[in-house]
Amino acid sequence: MAGAPDGGTVLSEKMLATRFAEVVLPHLGDALSLARWLTVNQADAEDVVQEACLKAYAGIAGFAGGNPRAWLLTIVRNASYTWMARNRPRSVVAVGDLADLDDVSPPPDSDADSPEAALIAKANSAAVEAAIARLPQAFRETVVLRDINGLSYREIAAMLGVPQGTVMSRLARARGLLMTELGGRHEPA
Amino acid sequence: MSPHETSPREDGLPQDPQDMKLMIHALVDGELDAAAALAVERRMAADPELAAEHARLVALRGAVANLPRPSVSDDFLARIAAIAEVKDAGDTVAVQPATAEPQQQQGNVIAMRPRAARWFNSFDWRQMAASIALTAVLASGATQWLTTADNGSDSFAVAVANGHRRSLLAATPVDIVSSDRHTVKPWLDGRIGVSPAAPDMAKDGYALLGGRVEVIGDRPMPALVYRHHEHLITLVAAPRQNEAKSMPVADDLSAGGFLLVHWTDDAFSYWAISDAERPALDDFVARFRAAIIANPAAGSPG
Repeated sequence: MAGAPDGGTVLSEKMLATRFAEVVLPHLGDALSLARWLTVNQADAEDVVQEACLKAYAGIAGFAGGNPRAWLLTIVRNASYTWMARNRPRSVVAVGDLADLDDVSPPPDSDADSPEAALIAKANSAAVEAAIARLPQAFRETVVLRDINGLSYREIAAMLGVPQGTVMSRLARARGLLMTELGGRHEPA
Repeated sequence: MSPHETSPREDGLPQDPQDMKLMIHALVDGELDAAAALAVERRMAADPELAAEHARLVALRGAVANLPRPSVSDDFLARIAAIAEVKDAGDTVAVQPATAEPQQQQGNVIAMRPRAARWFNSFDWRQMAASIALTAVLASGATQWLTTADNGSDSFAVAVANGHRRSLLAATPVDIVSSDRHTVKPWLDGRIGVSPAAPDMAKDGYALLGGRVEVIGDRPMPALVYRHHEHLITLVAAPRQNEAKSMPVADDLSAGGFLLVHWTDDAFSYWAISDAERPALDDFVARFRAAIIANPAAGSPG
């Protein structure tokens, strides 16, 4: 390649491709998980992730280290909402109610019996998935980012652009709803 | 460091019961440092309700963690990996005005998915069968194979096929990425002192991707790689020596599961190989030969 006028270009393109392979490709499973939960559709998830990856490649030069999974998932999240705004305008309405959701008073304390934990542990996957799918969008994305994608509070807060305390309260609310449903408790009035 | 500090007591934990529940979540999530975790565990030991909340959370996390994850199919992985590769080619085109329409390159972004498969060991190369790789080999020293027994020609074809297959599995099918023959030819000349005509036939549907060096029977020889629609086309070839027999009529062959076309023009003996349909390969050969005749200067060796 010595002396080839575009040798430098080739090299940097190769570096970008290498970085893409290192930063993006290992986390496609996580990307699909997030897109699947945000769009609630497996087939759509692939389209969304593909769009996200196109953006990720375009911006790969700007990836400045840190958690590559969080970086990719941020792009996937944006792509998911862009996609839903385009394809399912009606389903995104809930995002406007975020403030209301955050203000919702916490669920009533439950009696502290341990059989509930056993019920939750035994819940089958279909029931867990259905319960997650029924969560309000803001709660769902928070619990998915934490419990399925494994991001830290700090990473989730940065991604959602909210204080860490908000992440914590949404997470607690989301899990409270899931535990209520899966633990067989009566829905709080 | 507790992430949520309101009205700290001696143990630094919040007094508010709801905030205290957040600390339980934080503990389950591994967000607490050792000191805070210890304090929360002490609170839990003294408060059955907190302990029960903790047990429910652990159970819930287990249930969510056991959910089936969407699998990343080979096809999808290849599609995503292709993004980097195709952009690679597209960007090169963008800085080289001599090339064909960028629109066509853009249009190939999705269609190129099989190429990327070579990044992954688990991927069956046969799934890349949609790629046509047309490789023209100019073998300066391979006269032994070209001129003697028929099985000599066969073994050369097998070597071409093996090189082609290897290129599909490599990180990139070309050593020099360029759609500009004025870049490809000097590069090949500098490397091995010989270069074939390298017309870019993008307007005919065969875009020049670049070149590489093939080594067949101890001899390095230049190879060109073309792309046909969503297919890769690779072409390998060798300078003829005096005793090499002329083969003006293209000869259809096959080797290693690929289709080949072999012919000679002037100074070169060409081997075109691909897993494309025979008509597409024949069409490529016809257009390539026509392009060389139209611009013979581009075809002189060295």
